[in-house]
Amino acid sequence: MTIRVKILGRGTYEVEYHDGMKVLDVLKKLGLLSTEYVVVRKGEVLIEDEKVNDGDELVLYAVVSGG
Amino acid sequence: MVRCSICGRRAVYTSRISGHSYCSRHFIDYFSRKVRRTIRKYQLFRPKDHIVVAVSGGKDSLALLHFLKKLSKYSPRWKITALLVDEGISGYRDITIKRFQDVVLDLKVDYEVVSFKEEIGYTLDRIVSSNYKEEYLPCTYCGVFRRYLINKTARRIGATVVATAHNLDDIIQTYIMNIIGNDWNKIIRLAPVSGPAIHPHLVRKVKPFYEILEKETTVYAIINNLYTGFEECPYARLSLRWHIRRWLNELEERKPGTKYAILNNLLSIINILTKKENINLEEEIDTCILCGEPSAHQICRACDLRTRLSMVRLESSAHIKLKELNKFLYANKQLILFTLR
Repeated sequence: MTIRVKILGRGTYEVEYHDGMKVLDVLKKLGLLSTEYVVVRKGEVLIEDEKVNDGDELVLYAVVSGG
Repeated sequence: MVRCSICGRRAVYTSRISGHSYCSRHFIDYFSRKVRRTIRKYQLFRPKDHIVVAVSGGKDSLALLHFLKKLSKYSPRWKITALLVDEGISGYRDITIKRFQDVVLDLKVDYEVVSFKEEIGYTLDRIVSSNYKEEYLPCTYCGVFRRYLINKTARRIGATVVATAHNLDDIIQTYIMNIIGNDWNKIIRLAPVSGPAIHPHLVRKVKPFYEILEKETTVYAIINNLYTGFEECPYARLSLRWHIRRWLNELEERKPGTKYAILNNLLSIINILTKKENINLEEEIDTCILCGEPSAHQICRACDLRTRLSMVRLESSAHIKLKELNKFLYANKQLILFTLR
Protein backbone atom coordinates (compact mmCIF):
# COMPACT_ATOMS: atom_id res chain seq x y z
CA MET A 1 0.00 0.00 0.00
CA THR A 2 2.45 2.63 -1.16
CA ILE A 3 2.81 5.50 -3.58
CA ARG A 4 6.13 6.16 -5.29
CA VAL A 5 7.03 9.82 -5.49
CA LYS A 6 9.85 11.05 -7.67
CA ILE A 7 10.91 14.62 -6.91
CA LEU A 8 12.65 15.91 -10.00
CA GLY A 9 16.29 16.65 -9.25
CA ARG A 10 16.07 15.28 -5.70
CA GLY A 11 15.31 11.57 -5.67
CA THR A 12 12.55 9.01 -5.17
CA TYR A 13 10.50 8.46 -2.02
CA GLU A 14 7.73 6.11 -0.88
CA VAL A 15 4.61 7.26 0.92
CA GLU A 16 2.18 4.95 2.70
CA TYR A 17 -1.22 4.94 1.01
CA HIS A 18 -4.56 5.21 2.83
CA ASP A 19 -8.14 5.23 1.53
CA GLY A 20 -9.35 8.57 0.21
CA MET A 21 -5.83 9.96 0.05
CA LYS A 22 -5.42 13.15 -1.99
CA VAL A 23 -2.44 14.82 -3.66
CA LEU A 24 -2.31 17.36 -0.83
CA ASP A 25 -2.01 14.51 1.72
CA VAL A 26 0.98 13.08 -0.18
CA LEU A 27 2.70 16.46 -0.14
CA LYS A 28 1.99 16.88 3.58
CA LYS A 29 3.42 13.43 4.36
CA LEU A 30 6.63 14.50 2.63
CA GLY A 31 6.63 17.84 4.47
CA LEU A 32 6.20 19.81 1.22
CA LEU A 33 4.12 22.88 0.42
CA SER A 34 1.55 22.73 -2.38
CA THR A 35 2.69 26.23 -3.41
CA GLU A 36 6.14 24.79 -4.12
CA TYR A 37 5.35 21.68 -6.21
CA VAL A 38 3.26 20.64 -9.21
CA VAL A 39 2.30 16.96 -9.17
CA VAL A 40 2.12 14.87 -12.33
CA ARG A 41 0.76 11.34 -12.83
CA LYS A 42 1.31 9.55 -16.15
CA GLY A 43 2.13 12.88 -17.80
CA GLU A 44 -1.01 14.61 -16.49
CA VAL A 45 -0.91 17.50 -14.05
CA LEU A 46 -2.96 16.88 -10.90
CA ILE A 47 -4.53 19.49 -8.66
CA GLU A 48 -4.19 19.20 -4.88
CA ASP A 49 -7.75 17.89 -4.36
CA GLU A 50 -7.29 15.01 -6.83
CA LYS A 51 -7.48 11.54 -5.27
CA VAL A 52 -4.48 9.23 -5.59
CA ASN A 53 -4.54 5.45 -5.89
CA ASP A 54 -2.54 2.68 -4.29
CA GLY A 55 0.55 2.01 -6.43
CA ASP A 56 0.49 5.40 -8.17
CA GLU A 57 3.78 6.80 -9.40
CA LEU A 58 3.89 10.56 -9.05
CA VAL A 59 6.44 13.02 -10.34
CA LEU A 60 6.89 16.29 -8.48
CA TYR A 61 8.12 19.38 -10.30
CA ALA A 62 9.57 22.14 -8.15
CA VAL A 63 7.83 25.48 -8.54
CA VAL A 64 10.73 27.42 -7.09
CA SER A 65 13.32 28.14 -9.72
CA GLY A 66 16.76 26.70 -9.31
CA GLY A 67 18.60 29.95 -9.83
CA MET B 1 -12.24 14.29 -9.80
CA VAL B 2 -12.18 18.08 -9.97
CA ARG B 3 -13.53 19.32 -13.27
CA CYS B 4 -12.78 22.33 -15.45
CA SER B 5 -15.22 25.13 -14.62
CA ILE B 6 -15.61 25.81 -18.36
CA CYS B 7 -15.79 22.46 -20.18
CA GLY B 8 -16.06 19.83 -17.45
CA ARG B 9 -12.86 17.97 -18.38
CA ARG B 10 -10.35 16.97 -15.70
CA ALA B 11 -8.82 20.07 -14.12
CA VAL B 12 -5.06 20.68 -13.96
CA TYR B 13 -5.17 23.96 -12.07
CA THR B 14 -7.42 25.73 -9.60
CA SER B 15 -7.10 29.44 -8.93
CA ARG B 16 -7.25 29.73 -5.16
CA ILE B 17 -8.52 33.29 -5.50
CA SER B 18 -11.45 32.86 -7.88
CA GLY B 19 -12.04 29.17 -7.12
CA HIS B 20 -12.21 28.43 -10.86
CA SER B 21 -10.62 25.22 -12.13
CA TYR B 22 -9.17 24.74 -15.60
CA CYS B 23 -8.36 21.76 -17.83
CA SER B 24 -5.02 22.01 -19.69
CA ARG B 25 -6.60 23.71 -22.72
CA HIS B 26 -8.49 26.28 -20.67
CA PHE B 27 -5.53 26.78 -18.37
CA ILE B 28 -3.48 27.91 -21.40
CA ASP B 29 -6.34 30.30 -22.31
CA TYR B 30 -6.47 31.63 -18.75
CA PHE B 31 -2.66 32.03 -18.62
CA SER B 32 -2.50 33.69 -22.02
CA ARG B 33 -5.33 36.09 -21.14
CA LYS B 34 -3.55 37.16 -17.96
CA VAL B 35 -0.21 37.81 -19.68
CA ARG B 36 -1.82 39.63 -22.60
CA ARG B 37 -3.71 41.81 -20.12
CA THR B 38 -0.42 42.78 -18.44
CA ILE B 39 1.17 43.51 -21.84
CA ARG B 40 -1.77 45.70 -22.81
CA LYS B 41 -2.24 47.44 -19.46
CA TYR B 42 1.40 48.48 -19.14
CA GLN B 43 2.08 48.84 -22.89
CA LEU B 44 5.07 46.52 -22.68
CA PHE B 45 5.61 46.10 -26.43
CA ARG B 46 5.28 48.13 -29.61
CA PRO B 47 4.37 46.75 -33.04
CA LYS B 48 7.92 46.85 -34.46
CA ASP B 49 9.90 45.84 -31.37
CA HIS B 50 13.04 43.76 -31.52
CA ILE B 51 12.50 41.78 -28.33
CA VAL B 52 15.44 40.18 -26.59
CA VAL B 53 14.19 37.50 -24.20
CA ALA B 54 16.63 36.94 -21.36
CA VAL B 55 16.66 33.15 -20.98
CA SER B 56 18.45 31.09 -18.37
CA GLY B 57 17.30 27.68 -19.57
CA GLY B 58 15.04 27.34 -16.54
CA LYS B 59 11.28 26.77 -16.80
CA ASP B 60 10.20 30.40 -16.33
CA SER B 61 12.36 31.96 -19.02
CA LEU B 62 11.69 29.10 -21.45
CA ALA B 63 7.97 29.57 -20.80
CA LEU B 64 8.32 33.29 -21.59
CA LEU B 65 10.23 32.60 -24.80
CA HIS B 66 7.64 30.00 -25.83
CA PHE B 67 4.75 32.34 -24.99
CA LEU B 68 6.16 35.38 -26.84
CA LYS B 69 7.08 33.29 -29.86
CA LYS B 70 3.48 32.04 -30.07
CA LEU B 71 2.15 35.57 -29.52
CA SER B 72 4.40 36.92 -32.28
CA LYS B 73 2.10 35.19 -34.80
CA TYR B 74 -0.27 38.08 -34.09
CA SER B 75 2.53 40.69 -34.19
CA PRO B 76 4.36 39.76 -37.40
CA ARG B 77 6.69 42.78 -37.23
CA TRP B 78 8.20 41.65 -33.95
CA LYS B 79 11.69 40.19 -34.05
CA ILE B 80 12.55 37.86 -31.20
CA THR B 81 16.04 36.90 -30.07
CA ALA B 82 16.82 34.69 -27.07
CA LEU B 83 19.81 35.70 -24.97
CA LEU B 84 21.54 33.45 -22.47
CA VAL B 85 24.26 34.59 -20.10
CA ASP B 86 26.64 31.80 -19.16
CA GLU B 87 27.93 32.67 -15.68
CA GLY B 88 30.29 29.71 -15.59
CA ILE B 89 28.73 27.57 -12.86
CA SER B 90 29.86 24.02 -13.44
CA GLY B 91 27.29 21.25 -13.05
CA TYR B 92 24.47 23.76 -13.43
CA ARG B 93 24.68 26.21 -16.30
CA ASP B 94 26.25 23.70 -18.70
CA ILE B 95 23.10 21.56 -18.33
CA THR B 96 20.63 24.43 -18.77
CA ILE B 97 22.52 25.72 -21.85
CA LYS B 98 21.84 22.39 -23.55
CA ARG B 99 18.13 22.68 -22.70
CA PHE B 100 18.12 26.30 -23.93
CA GLN B 101 19.62 25.27 -27.28
CA ASP B 102 17.09 22.46 -27.75
CA VAL B 103 14.18 24.85 -27.17
CA VAL B 104 15.46 27.71 -29.38
CA LEU B 105 16.08 25.26 -32.21
CA ASP B 106 12.62 23.78 -31.76
CA LEU B 107 10.98 27.23 -31.71
CA LYS B 108 13.21 28.47 -34.56
CA VAL B 109 14.31 31.54 -32.61
CA ASP B 110 17.62 33.37 -33.16
CA TYR B 111 19.84 33.28 -30.13
CA GLU B 112 22.99 34.69 -28.52
CA VAL B 113 25.12 33.29 -25.71
CA VAL B 114 27.53 35.55 -23.81
CA SER B 115 29.74 34.41 -20.96
CA PHE B 116 31.18 35.95 -17.80
CA LYS B 117 34.51 34.35 -18.73
CA GLU B 118 34.76 36.20 -22.04
CA GLU B 119 33.10 39.47 -21.09
CA ILE B 120 34.07 39.93 -17.45
CA GLY B 121 37.23 37.85 -17.38
CA TYR B 122 36.18 35.38 -14.69
CA THR B 123 33.64 32.59 -14.34
CA LEU B 124 31.33 32.83 -11.31
CA ASP B 125 32.99 29.70 -9.89
CA ARG B 126 36.35 31.49 -10.12
CA ILE B 127 34.94 34.64 -8.51
CA VAL B 128 33.54 32.64 -5.60
CA SER B 129 36.77 30.69 -5.08
CA SER B 130 38.96 33.82 -5.19
CA ASN B 131 36.63 36.00 -3.13
CA TYR B 132 38.48 35.10 0.07
CA LYS B 133 37.33 38.22 1.91
CA GLU B 134 33.72 37.12 1.34
CA GLU B 135 32.76 40.74 0.85
CA TYR B 136 29.68 39.86 -1.21
CA LEU B 137 27.46 36.84 -1.77
CA PRO B 138 27.80 35.05 -5.16
CA CYS B 139 24.31 36.31 -6.12
CA THR B 140 25.56 39.92 -5.87
CA TYR B 141 28.28 39.36 -8.51
CA CYS B 142 25.96 37.22 -10.61
CA GLY B 143 23.07 39.71 -10.58
CA VAL B 144 25.23 42.76 -11.33
CA PHE B 145 27.22 41.14 -14.16
CA ARG B 146 24.15 39.49 -15.65
CA ARG B 147 22.17 42.76 -15.82
CA TYR B 148 25.25 44.49 -17.24
CA LEU B 149 25.74 41.90 -20.00
CA ILE B 150 22.05 41.63 -20.87
CA ASN B 151 21.81 45.39 -21.46
CA LYS B 152 25.12 45.59 -23.31
CA THR B 153 24.38 42.61 -25.56
CA ALA B 154 20.79 43.66 -26.23
CA ARG B 155 22.05 47.05 -27.39
CA ARG B 156 24.78 45.48 -29.54
CA ILE B 157 22.29 43.36 -31.45
CA GLY B 158 19.86 46.26 -31.91
CA ALA B 159 17.14 45.26 -29.46
CA THR B 160 14.48 47.82 -28.57
CA VAL B 161 13.26 45.99 -25.48
CA VAL B 162 14.45 43.24 -23.13
CA ALA B 163 11.81 40.87 -21.73
CA THR B 164 12.65 39.05 -18.50
CA ALA B 165 10.68 36.19 -16.96
CA HIS B 166 10.33 37.76 -13.51
CA ASN B 167 7.00 36.53 -12.17
CA LEU B 168 4.75 37.72 -9.35
CA ASP B 169 6.69 35.64 -6.80
CA ASP B 170 10.06 37.11 -7.89
CA ILE B 171 8.70 40.64 -7.75
CA ILE B 172 7.25 40.43 -4.25
CA GLN B 173 10.37 38.66 -2.95
CA THR B 174 12.46 41.57 -4.23
CA TYR B 175 9.95 43.99 -2.72
CA ILE B 176 10.33 42.40 0.74
CA MET B 177 14.14 42.36 0.35
CA ASN B 178 14.07 46.08 -0.46
CA ILE B 179 11.80 46.79 2.50
CA ILE B 180 14.35 45.03 4.71
CA GLY B 181 17.08 47.15 3.11
CA ASN B 182 14.90 50.30 3.41
CA ASP B 183 15.73 50.90 -0.25
CA TRP B 184 12.87 52.95 -1.67
CA ASN B 185 14.75 53.90 -4.83
CA LYS B 186 14.87 50.23 -5.76
CA ILE B 187 11.21 49.69 -4.88
CA ILE B 188 10.15 52.35 -7.37
CA ARG B 189 11.99 50.37 -10.06
CA LEU B 190 9.88 47.25 -9.45
CA ALA B 191 7.16 48.28 -11.91
CA PRO B 192 6.35 46.07 -14.97
CA VAL B 193 8.44 48.41 -17.12
CA SER B 194 11.94 49.31 -15.99
CA GLY B 195 12.60 52.86 -15.06
CA PRO B 196 12.68 55.64 -14.20
CA ALA B 197 16.33 55.97 -15.30
CA ILE B 198 17.00 57.39 -18.77
CA HIS B 199 20.22 56.84 -20.71
CA PRO B 200 20.84 56.42 -24.45
CA HIS B 201 22.60 53.10 -23.76
CA LEU B 202 19.87 51.70 -21.55
CA VAL B 203 17.54 49.23 -23.27
CA ARG B 204 13.99 49.28 -21.90
CA LYS B 205 13.20 46.23 -19.74
CA VAL B 206 9.76 44.68 -19.31
CA LYS B 207 8.25 41.86 -17.24
CA PRO B 208 5.30 40.19 -19.04
CA PHE B 209 4.86 37.61 -16.20
CA TYR B 210 4.48 40.39 -13.60
CA GLU B 211 0.99 39.21 -12.58
CA ILE B 212 1.60 35.49 -13.03
CA LEU B 213 2.27 33.20 -10.06
CA GLU B 214 5.38 31.02 -10.30
CA LYS B 215 3.10 27.99 -9.89
CA GLU B 216 1.28 29.07 -13.05
CA THR B 217 4.49 29.39 -15.11
CA THR B 218 5.42 25.91 -13.85
CA VAL B 219 2.12 24.38 -15.02
CA TYR B 220 2.50 26.22 -18.38
CA ALA B 221 6.05 24.84 -18.77
CA ILE B 222 4.99 21.26 -17.92
CA ILE B 223 2.01 21.30 -20.31
CA ASN B 224 4.25 22.61 -23.12
CA ASN B 225 7.08 20.10 -22.41
CA LEU B 226 9.50 22.86 -21.47
CA TYR B 227 10.19 21.54 -17.97
CA THR B 228 12.39 18.53 -18.61
CA GLY B 229 14.72 18.63 -15.63
CA PHE B 230 15.54 20.51 -12.46
CA GLU B 231 18.96 21.79 -11.51
CA GLU B 232 19.60 24.03 -8.56
CA CYS B 233 22.27 26.71 -8.64
CA PRO B 234 24.83 25.67 -5.99
CA TYR B 235 24.86 29.25 -4.65
CA ALA B 236 21.07 29.83 -4.54
CA ARG B 237 20.55 28.80 -0.91
CA LEU B 238 23.10 31.35 0.31
CA SER B 239 20.83 34.24 -0.65
CA LEU B 240 18.31 36.08 1.51
CA ARG B 241 15.79 35.56 -1.31
CA TRP B 242 15.77 31.81 -0.59
CA HIS B 243 14.43 32.37 2.94
CA ILE B 244 11.95 35.07 1.94
CA ARG B 245 10.57 32.82 -0.80
CA ARG B 246 9.92 30.00 1.68
CA TRP B 247 8.30 32.40 4.13
CA LEU B 248 6.00 33.83 1.43
CA ASN B 249 5.03 30.34 0.24
CA GLU B 250 4.12 29.32 3.79
CA LEU B 251 1.99 32.45 4.15
CA GLU B 252 0.27 31.79 0.81
CA GLU B 253 -0.47 28.21 1.91
CA ARG B 254 -2.13 29.48 5.09
CA LYS B 255 -3.86 32.45 3.54
CA PRO B 256 -4.41 32.15 -0.22
CA GLY B 257 -4.25 35.53 -1.92
CA THR B 258 -1.38 36.84 0.20
CA LYS B 259 0.92 37.12 -2.81
CA TYR B 260 -1.58 39.11 -4.89
CA ALA B 261 -2.22 41.35 -1.87
CA ILE B 262 1.51 42.09 -1.54
CA LEU B 263 1.75 42.84 -5.29
CA ASN B 264 -1.19 45.24 -5.04
CA ASN B 265 0.48 46.84 -2.05
CA LEU B 266 3.67 47.28 -4.10
CA LEU B 267 1.76 48.90 -6.98
CA SER B 268 0.12 51.32 -4.54
CA ILE B 269 3.49 52.18 -3.01
CA ILE B 270 5.03 52.79 -6.46
CA ASN B 271 2.07 55.04 -7.25
CA ILE B 272 2.50 57.00 -4.00
CA LEU B 273 6.27 57.29 -4.43
CA THR B 274 6.06 58.50 -8.03
CA LYS B 275 3.67 61.27 -6.97
CA LYS B 276 6.13 62.64 -4.48
CA GLU B 277 7.75 65.83 -5.70
CA ASN B 278 11.31 64.85 -4.88
CA ILE B 279 11.21 61.80 -7.14
CA ASN B 280 12.04 62.55 -10.74
CA LEU B 281 10.30 59.99 -12.94
CA GLU B 282 12.59 60.59 -15.87
CA GLU B 283 15.83 60.59 -13.98
CA GLU B 284 18.90 60.87 -16.22
CA ILE B 285 21.75 58.72 -15.11
CA ASP B 286 25.50 58.93 -15.57
CA THR B 287 27.85 57.12 -17.89
CA CYS B 288 30.53 54.91 -16.36
CA ILE B 289 33.92 56.54 -16.93
CA LEU B 290 35.55 53.10 -17.32
CA CYS B 291 33.23 51.21 -19.67
CA GLY B 292 30.79 53.80 -21.04
CA GLU B 293 27.75 51.86 -19.84
CA PRO B 294 24.85 53.51 -17.97
CA SER B 295 25.60 53.98 -14.30
CA ALA B 296 24.13 55.59 -11.20
CA HIS B 297 27.66 56.66 -10.21
CA GLN B 298 30.88 57.68 -11.95
CA ILE B 299 31.97 54.05 -12.00
CA CYS B 300 29.27 51.45 -12.63
CA ARG B 301 28.65 48.58 -10.22
CA ALA B 302 30.02 46.04 -12.72
CA CYS B 303 33.33 47.91 -13.13
CA ASP B 304 33.47 48.47 -9.37
CA LEU B 305 33.12 44.73 -8.69
CA ARG B 306 35.49 43.87 -11.54
CA THR B 307 38.11 46.21 -10.11
CA ARG B 308 37.72 44.67 -6.67
CA LEU B 309 38.19 41.22 -8.20
CA SER B 310 41.38 42.36 -10.00
CA MET B 311 42.64 43.72 -6.70
CA VAL B 312 41.95 40.43 -4.99
CA ARG B 313 43.95 38.71 -7.72
CA LEU B 314 46.72 41.26 -7.48
CA GLU B 315 46.87 40.90 -3.71
CA SER B 316 47.11 37.11 -4.02
CA SER B 317 49.97 37.28 -6.48
CA ALA B 318 51.56 40.26 -4.70
CA HIS B 319 51.68 38.21 -1.53
CA ILE B 320 54.15 35.82 -3.19
CA LYS B 321 56.06 38.60 -4.93
CA LEU B 322 56.36 40.50 -1.66
CA LYS B 323 58.11 37.54 -0.09
CA GLU B 324 60.56 37.44 -3.00
CA LEU B 325 61.07 41.21 -2.75
CA ASN B 326 61.75 40.97 0.97
CA LYS B 327 64.36 38.28 0.31
CA PHE B 328 65.94 40.46 -2.37
CA LEU B 329 65.92 43.55 -0.14
CA TYR B 330 67.46 41.64 2.75
CA ALA B 331 70.17 40.16 0.54
CA ASN B 332 71.00 43.48 -1.10
CA LYS B 333 70.49 45.75 1.89
CA GLN B 334 73.87 47.47 1.64
CA LEU B 335 73.59 48.01 -2.10
CA ILE B 336 70.09 49.54 -1.78
CA LEU B 337 71.09 51.82 1.07
CA PHE B 338 74.07 53.00 -0.98
CA THR B 339 71.85 53.68 -4.02
CA LEU B 340 69.31 55.58 -1.93
CA ARG B 341 72.01 57.84 -0.52
